[in-house]
Amino acid sequence: MKEKWNLKRLIFNISSLVDLGQEVTSSKGFNDKMKTTLYVVTGMFSVPKAALFLYNSNSHNLELLTHKGLREIDGTSLYVRAKHIKIFKKNEPYNISEIKDNSFCEHNGGAFKKLQTKTFIPLFAKDEFVGAITLGKRLARGSYLPSEKDVLKVIANQMAITLHNSNLFKKLTNKVTENKKLYENMRHIYHDTIQAFAAAIDAKDVYTKNHSYRVARYAVAIAREIGWEGRDIEGIYVAGLLHDIGKIIIDRGVINKGEELNTMEISEIKRHPQISYDILSKIKFPWKDVVYFVKHHHERVDGKGYPDSLAETELSDGVKILALADAFDAMTTDRPYRGKLSLFDALREVKKCLGTQFDEKISKVFFRVLQKEIKGEIKEAQILPHLDKDFDPAIITTLLEAITAELTA
Amino acid sequence: MNNFSISVKPANDIVVIMPKGYVNDLGAERLEQACEQFLDKGIKKVVINFSDMQFINSIGASIFTGIVQKTLEYNGQLCFTNMRKVHRDVFEMLGITKHVKVFKDERNALSFLKGLG
Repeated sequence: MKEKWNLKRLIFNISSLVDLGQEVTSSKGFNDKMKTTLYVVTGMFSVPKAALFLYNSNSHNLELLTHKGLREIDGTSLYVRAKHIKIFKKNEPYNISEIKDNSFCEHNGGAFKKLQTKTFIPLFAKDEFVGAITLGKRLARGSYLPSEKDVLKVIANQMAITLHNSNLFKKLTNKVTENKKLYENMRHIYHDTIQAFAAAIDAKDVYTKNHSYRVARYAVAIAREIGWEGRDIEGIYVAGLLHDIGKIIIDRGVINKGEELNTMEISEIKRHPQISYDILSKIKFPWKDVVYFVKHHHERVDGKGYPDSLAETELSDGVKILALADAFDAMTTDRPYRGKLSLFDALREVKKCLGTQFDEKISKVFFRVLQKEIKGEIKEAQILPHLDKDFDPAIITTLLEAITAELTA
Repeated sequence: MNNFSISVKPANDIVVIMPKGYVNDLGAERLEQACEQFLDKGIKKVVINFSDMQFINSIGASIFTGIVQKTLEYNGQLCFTNMRKVHRDVFEMLGITKHVKVFKDERNALSFLKGLG
């Protein structure tokens, strides 16, 4: 008879260990998983009250993770210090009266009473102390048989590994969050630095204050309208801010000259896209093609631009966007050699230069986005806030509609 | 969790609870909660009819351990009926049946509980 029961017990224990294995490898959330594993233990040994604790290496306390059959114990923690951890045998079930260190039992006497603890199992994954299980009085019998202690040790080992893995995962998640924050900070610093550069570029030319900023905004407006998103938008914005960085080493007298430039001066000015490229190509930008947008922002679709006289097919949308944004801002602001054009005249000038200086597809998008901004159809207008307010919206809208109709025909 | 449900038949100071399906995960905690609710209300005579109960594992055993413990704390009387041999063996092995009256069927259990007054 006794043999028959032993066999049944053995089968039940093995099937419970299978239950445990299934639980710890399940896709359940961590808390549910740990709660279920605790239920496996309490079911196997008919213990109505039990708790599982996670060791916090910062507070040096065991913090309650989950429990079974206990009331009003939320926030309960156990006091554990290095000297206690040192004396614990790994994953060994202790009758709490057997724990020799008085300070451990003294400190935790109140908590053990609340938890109705009879057995304490310190959980170790390899050599690392990761948590503990407290078990209350058993329904069936008092102490654990040596064979039962062996089973408890196997279970405790499995639970310790699960806790350890979860700790590792948590640490990794924290690290990722920390790195994300760090990246965001770096990104802000990066942007601030770029803004500072842009301000330095614009400060060199008294006539073009905030030119780089406006070009960046106009480029973003067009790029968004053609469907660019996220990092591509950031890239064109940065290209807009830095496109004239090469002007930093051009003679200020040439840049601000109030009369027509001679051939040498024109050649000098025309060096700036290449210089911009030379400066920026030393930087490893996180955005695609910034340096190429900058280098070619004075190229034209008819191949008569500089520095490389590229043909239309060789120019990317980014280059075409930046070229238009730059030229449009130049038209609508005062220059040392001429006064600014009205918005009406500037738009007609863009229209006139389609297929020669400007790309038709990109220009159509530009006309469309400007129309939308005037009609208030765009939440955060990028172009309108930087234009003189002396234009008649109705007239500009009519002009834009006429241009669009003509281009569509 | 999807394979478990309970039906409850309260009658005066007795409640008959019929778990149905598999008592093998946390979904079956509803059984323990239902028992506790009746004990809280002062209904201390609880019958659990096992006729529709299928599989029980260590998690299920934990839930029944909890029910027994709560009934003891409330000075209640717990009766199990219509148990299959496999259930009875598990509960006997875990020492649960020491705290429970086991009857062949619900009628016998009710008659016993009514006799308690």
